[in-house]
Amino acid sequence: MSAGSGSLPRYIVQRLLLIIPMVWLLLTIVFLLLRVAPGDPVSASVGDRLSQEALDVRRAALGLDRPLIVQYFDYLGDVLTLDFGNTISDNRPITSIITDNGGATLTLTVGAFVIAMLIGIPLGLMAGRRRDTVGDVAIRTFGVVTYAAPVFFIGLMMQLWVAAPLGWPTSDIASPITKFEVEPVTHILLVDAFLSGNTEAIGDVLLHHLLPCLTLGLLLSGVFIRLVRVNVLQTLKGDYVEAARARGIAEKHVIRRHAFRNALVPVITVIGLQVALTLSGAVLTERTFNWPGLGTQLYNYLIARDYAAVQGIITFFALVVVLVSLVIDIVNALIDPRVRY
Amino acid sequence: MNRRRGLLALASAGAMLVTLAACGGSDSGGGSEGGGTDASGEPWILGTTESVTALDPAGSYDFGSWNLQYSIYEQLLSIPAGEAEPVPDAAESCDYDDPQTVTCTLREGLKFSNGNDLTSSDVLFSMQRNIEIADPNGSSVLLGQISNGDAEAPALADGAIETPDDLTVVFHLNAPDTTFLKLLSTATTSIVDEDTFPADKLLDDSQVVGSGPFKLSQYKPGEQAVLEANEGYDGERAAASPQVFIQYYNDPSPLKQAIEAQDVDIAWRTLSPTDLNDLEGADGVEVVKGEGSEFRYWVWQTATKVGGDKAIRQAVAQLIDRDTIAQDAYDGTVTPAYSIVPPGFGGQKDSFKEAYGEPSVDAAKKILDDAGVKTPVSFTLGYTPTHYGPNAVDEATEFAAQLNDSGLFDVKTEDAEWEEYQTLYKENAYDLFILGWYPDILDADNYLSPFVRDGGFYANNYSNPEVNKLLDQELAETDTAARDEIIGQLQDIVAEDVPLIPSWNGENVAVATDQMEGVEETLDPTYIFRLWEISKSS
Amino acid sequence: MFNRLLSPFRSTTGLARWILLTGVVITVVFVVLAVFAPWIAPFDFNQRGIGADKFPKMAPPSGEHWFGTSDQFFDVFSRVVYGARTALTVVALSVLFSVVIGVLLGLLSGYLGGWPDRVMVFVMDALYAFPSLLLAIVFSFLLSGPLGGGVVAAALSLTTIYIPQYFRVVRNTTVSAREATYIEAARALGAKDSTIMGRYLFGNVIQSVPVIGTLNAADAIGTLAALGFLGLGIQPNEAAEWGYDLSRALDDASAGIWWTSFFPGMAIVVLVVALTLVGEGLNETINPSLRKRRIRKVVLPPREASTTSTEGGVR
Repeated sequence: MSAGSGSLPRYIVQRLLLIIPMVWLLLTIVFLLLRVAPGDPVSASVGDRLSQEALDVRRAALGLDRPLIVQYFDYLGDVLTLDFGNTISDNRPITSIITDNGGATLTLTVGAFVIAMLIGIPLGLMAGRRRDTVGDVAIRTFGVVTYAAPVFFIGLMMQLWVAAPLGWPTSDIASPITKFEVEPVTHILLVDAFLSGNTEAIGDVLLHHLLPCLTLGLLLSGVFIRLVRVNVLQTLKGDYVEAARARGIAEKHVIRRHAFRNALVPVITVIGLQVALTLSGAVLTERTFNWPGLGTQLYNYLIARDYAAVQGIITFFALVVVLVSLVIDIVNALIDPRVRY
Repeated sequence: MNRRRGLLALASAGAMLVTLAACGGSDSGGGSEGGGTDASGEPWILGTTESVTALDPAGSYDFGSWNLQYSIYEQLLSIPAGEAEPVPDAAESCDYDDPQTVTCTLREGLKFSNGNDLTSSDVLFSMQRNIEIADPNGSSVLLGQISNGDAEAPALADGAIETPDDLTVVFHLNAPDTTFLKLLSTATTSIVDEDTFPADKLLDDSQVVGSGPFKLSQYKPGEQAVLEANEGYDGERAAASPQVFIQYYNDPSPLKQAIEAQDVDIAWRTLSPTDLNDLEGADGVEVVKGEGSEFRYWVWQTATKVGGDKAIRQAVAQLIDRDTIAQDAYDGTVTPAYSIVPPGFGGQKDSFKEAYGEPSVDAAKKILDDAGVKTPVSFTLGYTPTHYGPNAVDEATEFAAQLNDSGLFDVKTEDAEWEEYQTLYKENAYDLFILGWYPDILDADNYLSPFVRDGGFYANNYSNPEVNKLLDQELAETDTAARDEIIGQLQDIVAEDVPLIPSWNGENVAVATDQMEGVEETLDPTYIFRLWEISKSS
Repeated sequence: MFNRLLSPFRSTTGLARWILLTGVVITVVFVVLAVFAPWIAPFDFNQRGIGADKFPKMAPPSGEHWFGTSDQFFDVFSRVVYGARTALTVVALSVLFSVVIGVLLGLLSGYLGGWPDRVMVFVMDALYAFPSLLLAIVFSFLLSGPLGGGVVAAALSLTTIYIPQYFRVVRNTTVSAREATYIEAARALGAKDSTIMGRYLFGNVIQSVPVIGTLNAADAIGTLAALGFLGLGIQPNEAAEWGYDLSRALDDASAGIWWTSFFPGMAIVVLVVALTLVGEGLNETINPSLRKRRIRKVVLPPREASTTSTEGGVR
């Protein structure tokens, strides 16, 4: 495999250790931004019902009138003992928000990525192979347009003109009955439906995933198209490709066996980057489809100025991004011999 | 190699999707199968955009939570659909011994759905823990008449509740209050099981137990709640359906699509005016309207130069064209309000209509001229685009346009996001600003005391000793006719002094499929959505 | 330096050139709309009628209202035109701020190295890992307080998201250029740090900025629309914003009223596509491994009468 793999474990440990200060930094940034911004959970919910004195009493009960630095260290202390506490606006344990709603965001994201790759990679390969032809231009235009279109706009169009006539469900992750009947084992509804063996439930959940995954996947495919195409172009210029041609190997073998494989390697890296983008866009996608994932929760708690919840969820997102980056880097190190430590 | 595998994968995935679409399409219609244990009556689905804060009565102060609590718990009294006065619920009777004392006698044999007995000590426990927990999201502020008034260490006032025996509860109020019986019908006074609920903190939502017509069988926060009929319930509010699903939506658009496709059976709160008007023409569903008590109003900050000038306030009250606002900003889905108290409440009178009649530029000009005010008067109109929905923007724009078009005013509109808005209006950044209100209890006082007593909760610095005196009088007055008279006087004074300008009253609207029954009856000013009265015929 | 910035444009060829041109043309159209909005748009962006007569509410496209009217009595065409002005102003401001701050920080950090560099890289990586839309939302809360939620607040919210990108690219280029021989020579000559950074490094690192800048601009338009859609951006009485108009048009669409959502939505798509095409086109040319050089015709000298064959194959 790669030379210097002895230092790979050390690299991994280094990166893992770096996660801690990074998470701390993000926590601090979010904390500061939220507290400095106008408003607080109390005024967000009952600001137009109660007098100033009553509001102040409630704020004091939540400890929001203490000096900022005191609240900050209090929060850090809790986090260190892994006590993320409850949300302020509706008393839910924050860890339960992540477990209950993380699964929905996960299946949506994975589904969308699968579709994006299924559409994007073949199209990118085709475009790269036929550079500057009509097909190439068409595919590239498609890639750019799908990247440009806002998800809430396309989502709405799909709901009205694709889903409604076909009778597909346009929102939520499953019907109420399915949600009621499926036992929460892993808290990922799709997996739980499979585990329960209830075919109606499985079909229902899959059907509900169809439109959102298709929409988001379509929009993400643009990224893969462009990336794969560029990599194919670069690869096709490489010396070994020319050498293969010189050896007399048929063009289509040259492309398939040599160029495509190498072109796909950077795709893995991009997946890591895209995870961050997708999480950030999760708020929009989930709102468009009324999807009960972390994006919706985050948005609702943001509007409610629920500091505890927002801090918890954003930290979780950041952790996911950082961990996925780490995994991608490790995979990259393992398969790409040029990467050294 | 890769490519071929890739293509195969694509093809099989496509085939799978197509098959699923074909077989999934037939049962994506929700509702009609599965779930129900009872053969009679079908389970049905309610879709709503209201959110739930807590299912523990001590921890919530919002519609979404209260509505579930009315179904899960009993209260001492309840307000039947379409009526204003409370009737017995868990209690057999509740009467005033004197304006400061109320005695309630519980029904015999009451039990919680877990089998425990419901006695007067549970009633005492429920109220006491509500006040002592004083949850920041809770409504213990409504129990002021039996609290000790200590903000640092809230507790039941000494001797406020007596329980001489298992079936009797006596309330001793801090001050005479004829609205207390109505308070005993609100969800904040729900009776909880002292053996299950902790006394010093809230109970986890999934474990709540009550004695009401329904039991909670599943709760997924932000997604859905599932209620099952409580077989042990023996009161007046027996459930007409064996199972009810409540689906929570984050936005009105998916809810509208869902009710149109009949994926939910009833959509209640809150669809936009465009949605409602479009659904009027839809097949298979009906838009049902009832009286509501939602209130939108414009507050004068009387501490500013403009706000402190009575003639200016009256002139604006003379000019406001409520019909146009209702039509243009809300597509006719709201009713113009001519008094601080909404119609349907005892003692209500359209004081603003009596005082000002139709909008008239000439009359407004006369008011200003008589007071020697130079026109055009410039002032700042504040509104918030987020908290009250997007149509508040349209209302503010329309109102400002009306004032500017008259030539008598030069109005500048300013907006701020809800959080910032609250700080700003309390800092006198606006002369006139918009707020909205829902009543806690169905009583005219709930539209008076919070607004006009010493600046109201919004601190607009309006204080009138005559008003305060009348407020004390009406709270203590037991004779209904006399009380209505006093309330009428209060409204007249408000129309004269104009500390605020009423804008509109909302209707209580639901959209239901043709198979649903009992919907129209429950749409009343209490906004209690009586799930137990609603049923679905097949 | 101007030449250096424009040189990538000049060396484009073939399809890359057409792509670039299309993108540029469409962008220019939008810029024209933005700059000349008061003359192009028939009505003001928050005009609800003429004199005492209000426009029809939610009227379909017609002779008087080319794109129809909205729920709020606005003329959709005017809103789209003024929306271009808002979008381009906000985006131009935010990209400008991010470039200035990001490039400066990147140069400094890359050149100085050591601990300050590591800390900066760390902070920037953390910001980069932060889901960008969320950062924008939180900043818009923050800034709408003191700045009143206008165009500047929106621009500043977007700025913070993009700084890390410029920082990264510039810093990496600076770090690799720092040890180059010509820099060493300059130092040996006694050039000050600021001269080295300004005269030598800056010109070299600035090459990649246009590509990132245009792609950023494309992304910023989308983010601005997202903010407006979520109700957190610019209010309709301050300026026209496509995302906000889309959010108000959601319920219209399911009632069969398509023009209030279609036109603002298409405006977003077209402008973002145009900017992306410009960025892509530039990328194709700047990236040497993708570049297709213009093939210049080689003219061979006329053959002299000779016995030796001098035909050198043209490769």
